[in-house]
Amino acid sequence: MTCKKLFFLLLIQLITFPIIAQNNFTISGFVQDDNSGENLIGVSVYDKETFKGTVTNSYGFYSLTIEEGTYNITFSFIGLESVTKNLVVDKDLRVNISLMSNAILTDEVTITGEKLDKNVSSSNMSQVRMEVTNIKQLPAILGEVDVIKSAQLLPGITANGEGSSGLYVRGGGPDQNLILLDEAVVYNASHLFGFFSVFNADAIKDINIIKGGMPAEYGGRLSSVLDITMKDGNNKEFKADGGIGLLSSRLTLQGPIQKNKSSFIVSGRRTYIDVLAKPLLNRENPETGEKNAFAGSGYYFYDLTTKINYRVSDKDRLYLSGYFGRDVFDFANSDNGFAVQIPWGNATGSLRWNHLFNDKLFVNTSLVFSDYRFEFNIAQSDFEFKIFSGINDWNTKVDFLYQPNQRHTIKFGTNYTYHEFTPGNATGKAGDVTFAPDEIYRQYSNEGAIYFSDDFELSDVLKINAGLRYSSFQHAGDITFLNYLKNDLTLNENNYRHIEPRLSLRYTLNPTSSLKGSYTENYQYVHLASTSAVSLPTDLWVPSSTAIKPKFAKQLAFGYFKNLNDNMYETSIESYYKEMTNLIEYKEGVLPEDNTNSNSDNAFTFGDGDSYGIEVLLKKSQGKTTGWIGYTLSKTTRYFDEVNNGESFPAKYDRRHDLSVTATHKLSKAWTLSGVFVYASGNSITLPTERYVIGGDVYTQFTSRNGYRMDPYHRMDIGATYTPTKKNKKFKSSWNFSIYNIYSRKNPYFIYFAIEGLEENVDNQNIQNGNVEAKAYQVSIFPILPSVTWNFNF
Amino acid sequence: MKKYLFICLVFISCQDEIIIEFPIESQTIVVEGGIEPNMPPYVVLSKNQGYFDEININTYNDLFIKDAKVIVWKANEDGTADSILLEMLPPPFDSLPIYTDLNYFSSLNNFPYTNSGTYNPITISGGISNDFSKANETYNLIVRWNDKEITSQTSIPNLTPLDCLWVERNEFSDLDYKFDINAIYDDPADIENNIFIKYRKNTHWDVDTINWSLKDHSDDLMQIIDAGTDILINGEKFQTYFPQRGEGDFPTLPYNSSRYVEYENGNSIDSVFVPHDIVTIKFSQIDEPALKFWRSLIRQFGSNGNPFQEPLNIVSNINGGYGGWTGYGAVYYKIPIIDGFTTSNLLPLDSVEITDLF
Repeated sequence: MTCKKLFFLLLIQLITFPIIAQNNFTISGFVQDDNSGENLIGVSVYDKETFKGTVTNSYGFYSLTIEEGTYNITFSFIGLESVTKNLVVDKDLRVNISLMSNAILTDEVTITGEKLDKNVSSSNMSQVRMEVTNIKQLPAILGEVDVIKSAQLLPGITANGEGSSGLYVRGGGPDQNLILLDEAVVYNASHLFGFFSVFNADAIKDINIIKGGMPAEYGGRLSSVLDITMKDGNNKEFKADGGIGLLSSRLTLQGPIQKNKSSFIVSGRRTYIDVLAKPLLNRENPETGEKNAFAGSGYYFYDLTTKINYRVSDKDRLYLSGYFGRDVFDFANSDNGFAVQIPWGNATGSLRWNHLFNDKLFVNTSLVFSDYRFEFNIAQSDFEFKIFSGINDWNTKVDFLYQPNQRHTIKFGTNYTYHEFTPGNATGKAGDVTFAPDEIYRQYSNEGAIYFSDDFELSDVLKINAGLRYSSFQHAGDITFLNYLKNDLTLNENNYRHIEPRLSLRYTLNPTSSLKGSYTENYQYVHLASTSAVSLPTDLWVPSSTAIKPKFAKQLAFGYFKNLNDNMYETSIESYYKEMTNLIEYKEGVLPEDNTNSNSDNAFTFGDGDSYGIEVLLKKSQGKTTGWIGYTLSKTTRYFDEVNNGESFPAKYDRRHDLSVTATHKLSKAWTLSGVFVYASGNSITLPTERYVIGGDVYTQFTSRNGYRMDPYHRMDIGATYTPTKKNKKFKSSWNFSIYNIYSRKNPYFIYFAIEGLEENVDNQNIQNGNVEAKAYQVSIFPILPSVTWNFNF
Repeated sequence: MKKYLFICLVFISCQDEIIIEFPIESQTIVVEGGIEPNMPPYVVLSKNQGYFDEININTYNDLFIKDAKVIVWKANEDGTADSILLEMLPPPFDSLPIYTDLNYFSSLNNFPYTNSGTYNPITISGGISNDFSKANETYNLIVRWNDKEITSQTSIPNLTPLDCLWVERNEFSDLDYKFDINAIYDDPADIENNIFIKYRKNTHWDVDTINWSLKDHSDDLMQIIDAGTDILINGEKFQTYFPQRGEGDFPTLPYNSSRYVEYENGNSIDSVFVPHDIVTIKFSQIDEPALKFWRSLIRQFGSNGNPFQEPLNIVSNINGGYGGWTGYGAVYYKIPIIDGFTTSNLLPLDSVEITDLF
């Protein structure tokens, strides 16, 4: 019997499992922050005696069905005062709760001790929910708070070198992460060529990271989910938050539109390197009066996040959110009339409707737009040339949450995405003559999924989260959408349909420890084609087609979870094994630009990969000192018939050892100190092994793919936040001081090679004198970097 | 873009030399060869070397292969084949071992030039004795050396001359002797062709500011301007220009017309007359494998170890070896950089120097 059939049987059993419904009643409602009115995600709602309960979903909704009786129901959330309600449950109850800030923010230390032990009791594994307030306390490069860089500090997630904001999860590539911002897919999550992420922490409410055991409601990517929820906006009072840093400044405005009914939030951020550099670049030479040849050059990025929400009724809520961000790189040289402009960025929009059918059935319906585009414009004199690419999605989804009783949490729904790919096009102009393809080359695809999952407590010790996801992908090639529709969406060889089983198990050993396991299968139908060693905006998204098969991964993970000292400390050790097939690479020697304005299917070669490892996490979430220690021992390998002469090679983000230590210590009401230490095995890179001469120039032959490992990466950062403790002042401010790489470790960023002596090699004199040599140079980019950021709110 | 990012990072970063050792895995023959209508095929052969191997005059000279057997052949429609055994140019013209068809060099023994360096200016004169090399034909290359044999194949596409070329003042330079070479190109609509453009400054003088005398800075070899398909310009007639390479890899620089360079000579002002540049433009059509070779070569030349680029080997069309074997549908123009100079005349083939071929 196949594994998938077993899953079906298991599901059928779960669905038809007799539900004991004798005198059961449901308590349901929304939990919000009393200060801001924001719905709270992940609040534990449980019976204080039995510790049985549930958690609020992404919209702050909970539903708990229990037998008739009297209960002390506790609502608990880190950083907020727990609330316990004595409820006589003899009918269905709607209980909306507001949680207030707890003493940890004002007093020295609070240990709640009442928090439900989610780390141990949940059936989920390989998931981490990060708190933005904690992230903001950690030291950051140039003071730029970055959620993705903070995620890289977790075990199983690696960075790709200094300053990178790419995510590499359990041996997966950067395109294998489903990055969602209010349910909209973000295709390129970095600014400044990968050094900063596109997410403005001021506008973020919640970050959920799933690196394994992916639940059935998520799909379309092999390795991970980074699910980011934006703040809804304060619906109690108008608030402004902002900050001025070395690299950028930011401002967030939020407030009620109609008190307790609707609110808005607008948050913007912009760098100002270009503004500061402008006077220098535009300055005339005092002696000659000539303008600087590079006037007009510069770089900046900005992003704008906005959201409004409206409580239509007690059962209906509407959310409209959007993100718009751009990087713009300008280079101009008036000496030769040469000008380059490279803009790129994401735009997303989400319209969502929450509806409560009844106390047990919650539904969210979303219409989501997502767009990523990149342009490269070059001009000189009468000549103009433009390369552009992008991807554009229209997505609609319906997600149901059904909690029939205390033992079952059932999720089911559908998801449909219409993709429009613009993989690589070019136009040009010379004088009055315009060069343009007859039609911009585009590809269209339909991606759909339906899913069902049940988080089911089989017994007091065994909990199962079992799900199935049925996904399909239809590729329409390069015909227009209209023609595509006329073709009746007939199935052909470009269509893929797959069933993806998802299973997680938790076996409770005792109240403070459990064993967990998970097995998942995932298909991915869109692919990022890259010739760069890091994720760059020039990388192309391409759909699966006849030639490009969907990627597939299966992952098996086991873990032991133990909490200590009344949940003061959370510990876990997880091991995983992941197999991936149909991974994509450019064929050796293929140049992406060769496929401009045409289909690039034949430019790729395909192979497999695997990754396995052990991840250890020790986390302290409560008390004066919080933080975590994460360590990963792993190995990631790739197998391509047409790469590296068919021999296996390490992935470029293969790390044998990866250690992160973070700590935040609340020294006093005014001062909070923080520190980060990271150590990672060096990147695997490809080095030249041979050289030869053509036309008097020296060229290089690379042989062994990723055959050289650079020196290990390690650094320590420290930070301090000073918050003046002036009372009764509406205007509050704080200073954040950071020192990145405090011991100025010269971490290898890349190695480059130079044949020195040839450029002055007149009549081979240098060669004759033995002055020509090949040298290798290791480049380090970030030495010790102090920074200061001033934050305010009123 | 990767280049700009690389430049920015090198500026803000610090770097240290590190020692890496990689022994060479195997010895491979490197081919640099070409064939074009009514011209002798040529091949320069060398070997690969370990990346960090010592480079001096001995190891450099030892890279070139001087004892190979080189054959170029083509199949005829009647099932027969024509072949030519290429031989090295004899001394004193063998400092760069060029294998070619010596029949093209009937006046070789009376060659007026002396052996003055690595690359001698050898004009192919009066030796066009047969019609072996023609457009629209495919040419095979066989090289045997030691126990190795490598092969390749290339085709010579049709020639596509430019409508005209002219010299015009560069609009961005403040210097009045900076000129561009402009051209009108009418791309044939009925074929997908691949264009490859090279230039060579046959004459280019600089001023030695110590002795205030002229220094010869002409190019030894042809320099690449660009290679690419006509996918975007197919069937279009348009104006283009052929700049020379500047710093880095991007060809954007104008050429020099004649000018006087003044200098202080005691109490008086003297001047040096600097003649104008004379530039050869080689405008070629090449087949797709050759295009891939040249484009990857340009890309690697431009990337200069750029770490943001996945290392890409040059795409060779040599089976069992490195390098390229290119059939050129080539036309040549010789352009003196004189204001207003206009021409549509091809350079006569007997004025083409052998080093203009590659």
